[in-house]
Amino acid sequence: MTQLALVIDLNVCVGCHACVTSCKQWNTSGPAGYMSDDNPYDKDPTGTFFNRVQTFEVGDYPNTETVHFPKSCLHCEDPPCVPVCPTGASYKRESDGIVLVDYDKCIGCKYCSWACPYGMREIDEHQKVMKKCTLCVDRIYDTSLPEAERKPACVMACPTNARLFGDVHDPESEVSLAIRERGGYPLMPEWGTKPANHYLPRRKTRITIHEDELIRADNPLKKERKQAPHTIEGPTLDDSTMW
Amino acid sequence: MRGLAAHSNGFHSIRSLSILMSILGTIDRPGGFRHKAPFPRPIPPCAKTPTGPEGVQPNTPLAGMPLGWPADPDDLFVDEQGEPVRIDKAFSWEHPLAVHGLMHNVITNAWRGDPYKIDTLMIFMANMAWNSSMNTVDVRQMLNDKDENGEFKIPFLVVCDAFQSEMVAFADLVLPDTTYLERHDVMSMLDRPISEYDGPVDSVRVPVVPPKGECKPFQEVLIELGTRLKLPAFTHEDGSRKFRDYPDFVINYETAPGSGIGFLAGWRGKGGEKFMKGEPNPSQWELYEKNNCVFHYELPRSYQYMRNWNQGYLRWAQDHSLTRYAEPINIHIYSEVLQKFRLAAQGRTPGGRVPPERLRKRVDTYFDPLPFYYEPLEAQYSDKHRYPLNALTQRPMAMYHSWDSQNAWLRQIHTYNYLYVNAQTAQAAGIVDGGWMWAESQWGKVRCLCRYSQAVEPGTVWTWNAVGKAAGAWGLSPQANESQQGFLLNHLISEELPAHSAGEHISNSDPVTGQAGWYDVRVRIYPTDAEEPEVSSPQFEPLQPVPGQSKRPSWLAWFAGGKKGHR
Repeated sequence: MTQLALVIDLNVCVGCHACVTSCKQWNTSGPAGYMSDDNPYDKDPTGTFFNRVQTFEVGDYPNTETVHFPKSCLHCEDPPCVPVCPTGASYKRESDGIVLVDYDKCIGCKYCSWACPYGMREIDEHQKVMKKCTLCVDRIYDTSLPEAERKPACVMACPTNARLFGDVHDPESEVSLAIRERGGYPLMPEWGTKPANHYLPRRKTRITIHEDELIRADNPLKKERKQAPHTIEGPTLDDSTMW
Repeated sequence: MRGLAAHSNGFHSIRSLSILMSILGTIDRPGGFRHKAPFPRPIPPCAKTPTGPEGVQPNTPLAGMPLGWPADPDDLFVDEQGEPVRIDKAFSWEHPLAVHGLMHNVITNAWRGDPYKIDTLMIFMANMAWNSSMNTVDVRQMLNDKDENGEFKIPFLVVCDAFQSEMVAFADLVLPDTTYLERHDVMSMLDRPISEYDGPVDSVRVPVVPPKGECKPFQEVLIELGTRLKLPAFTHEDGSRKFRDYPDFVINYETAPGSGIGFLAGWRGKGGEKFMKGEPNPSQWELYEKNNCVFHYELPRSYQYMRNWNQGYLRWAQDHSLTRYAEPINIHIYSEVLQKFRLAAQGRTPGGRVPPERLRKRVDTYFDPLPFYYEPLEAQYSDKHRYPLNALTQRPMAMYHSWDSQNAWLRQIHTYNYLYVNAQTAQAAGIVDGGWMWAESQWGKVRCLCRYSQAVEPGTVWTWNAVGKAAGAWGLSPQANESQQGFLLNHLISEELPAHSAGEHISNSDPVTGQAGWYDVRVRIYPTDAEEPEVSSPQFEPLQPVPGQSKRPSWLAWFAGGKKGHR
C-alpha cells in the first residue's frame, strides 16, 4: 500500500520560507478554497498557512545551532484527527495515505485540531472549516503537468532541495532510502500516530586530510608548446563593463 | 553590499581572503572560488570615468563612463586642487577606487552643496528616506531643508517607485514604476549576469500581466528622456529617435556601432545563430521567451577551471570579445595599482597628481600594496568604553530582494523585528527577554524590543534590516506592527565620520573603495524606564493616504490569481 510523505532535511534547510509562500500561493487557489488573511495590512496580521517554519536555537554560546524547522501535516499512518471527526469529514485515503478534509462535510467543530498532537491543522475563520496540508493532491496526479512537476509546491520551491517527496512504503524509493541511510526520524513517535513525514537530522561535516594528500605527485609544471600571438579587431567587453 | 565588505576595512579584509585563497591555490579550482563569465578579467585595462571637471559640460555627453576602474592617480575624477568633481566624491582622493559610487553620501553632499549644489535629484528604487540611508532622521530633514532665502536645498526631487515608500512621501514628482511582473528586464552580460561556473548565462524578464493604472517601467522613462534630450546613444545623427522602446533598445543597442556586443549574449546574429557577439537579432526576445528566458552556454570541460591561465578558455574569451587579450590574468598579490596611489601620497611621483595635503597620510596608510588589518575607521574615532558593542543587520531570507516585504503574506512571516542580544550581555545590562530597551550610539538612539540569543557573540547585537517601517508607509495602517514595534538600526549609523585630520565630512566608508561602513557602528544598551511608552522610537508623523490609494481590506482571500474583495 502506498504512503506518500515528505522527508525534510534539517541539515540543509536555511529557513528561507520559500516552501511557506509557495504552498500558500498554490493552495489558496486549490480545492480547499482561499486561504484567508485577517488584518492583512493592519496591526497583528494573521492568516491560514498549511506550512510554517519555526526557527529556534539549540545549545549555549558558543556551541549554538540555529535550527529551521518546517512544519506541516505529517499524514500519520494512524491519524488521531480522523476517528474524532463527528461527520466523517476528516479521512485518510486508502490509495496513497494522504489525510484530507472533505470541506462539504466539515462543520468546523475543531475536534481534529484538539486531537492532533502536532498542531498542524488550521481553522479557516471565514469559511469555518478545518484546513491542512494536502500534499498538493491537486498537483501530484495532474497529468497535464510535466511529470517532473507532479510534486507538492513546497518541494518544487525549495532552493536547497531540503524537501523530498515520495512513497515511504516503497523500500527502494528516494524517501525510504533517505530515511534508512541518513537517520530519518518521525516526530514524537511515542504518541503512536506513526507520522508518514520524516525529518533528516542535522549532521556535523568533518574532513580528514592525510599528509600524503598535501603533496602533488603529478605536478604539471612543464614547458608547453609556444603558440603564435593572436589578436582580434574591434571592441570587447573591456571597453564597456563598469562593475 | 553586505558581509565582510560592509566595513571601512572591508577592502583589505576581502583582499586578505582573496590572497589566502590564491596562496592555497583554490582560485577557479574544484571546490574553490570559481569564476563566472565574464570573469576573470584583467585590471587594468578597463573602462574609465572622465578625469577632470572638463569632462562634464552642459548639453554634452559625459566624456567617459559614469563608473569605472581607476588604475592610476591620473584616472581619478578630480579638479586641479585634487578635490572631488562628482556629487558623491567617488573616484576622488577621498575614495579613489569607488567603483560602485557612494550613493549613501549623495543627499548629505547635495544638502551641504559640497562639492556643488544640485537642482534635481532623481531616485529609482532606493528608499533613501528610510532603510537605504545612514543617519535616517537627519537625511529626512535634509530632504526638506531650506536655505536662508527660503528655497529648498534640494529643490526638485523625482522618485520612481512601485510602492508608497517612505522615500516617495518626499517626492515632488512621483513616477509610478511597474513591478517585475509587468515589464521587460535583462540581467545582462554588460552588467551583472547570472552566469554559472560552467559558462556564461544571462536572462530576461517578460511581462506576464499588464501594468496597472499609469505605471510605466522606469527603463521606458529613461529611454524617453534620453531620446528627448537627444543623447547620442539614443538618437541618429539627424537627431531622430533611435529606439522605439526598451525591448527595442535591448535588441539593437551595441556598445559601439557594429560591435556586435549588446545587452544579451544569446541568439545574436540575424537568425539567432550566434552568441556572445553578433549583429542584433529582431527575434531575440521571442527566442529568450521560448527558452524559459535564459541563455546558457556551457563551456567545454577543459575551459571550466583555472581560467586565469587556461589558454583554451582565454582564447575562447578573446574570440567571443569577452576580453581583448588572451594573456594570463595574474592575481595581484602585491598590488602595483595600490602602490601607485601610495607613491603619489608620498610625493614620489614627480609631476604627477598628488592628494590634497589633508588626505596624504590617509592615502599613504590605506593604499598599502599588501593587505593589512586595521580597526574600522568609526571605531578608531569612538569611545569604545562608552559604546562597547558592535551592532549590525541582516536581511531576512524570506524577504531577500523583496521590494514589497509589506505584502500580506511576507509580513506575517516577519511582522516586526527584535534586537538580538546575547543572553548574558542582556542580563548584565538588566534587559529582559522580550522587553523594551534602548540601543544608543554616538549618533542617536532607538527604542526597540530585545530578544535573547545564544547564537550571537556577546560583543555584538543585530537585527533584521528594513522590517521596521514608518507609520503609514507602504500602504500599511499607521498602527501596523512594523512601525509600532519594528525599528530601523539606520538611525544609529552615521554617513560621515567624526571630524578628523583627513577632513570634517569624510564619508563613513572604506578609504580605498568608498564601500559604506554599514556594520561599523558601536552601541551601548540599557533597559527602558517603566513609565516609557511601549512603542519603538523614533516615531514620525504618520503618512497620510494619497488620493487614489486603495482602502485596506479587513481581510483578504486570494483565489485563482484574482482577489475576492471583502471588507
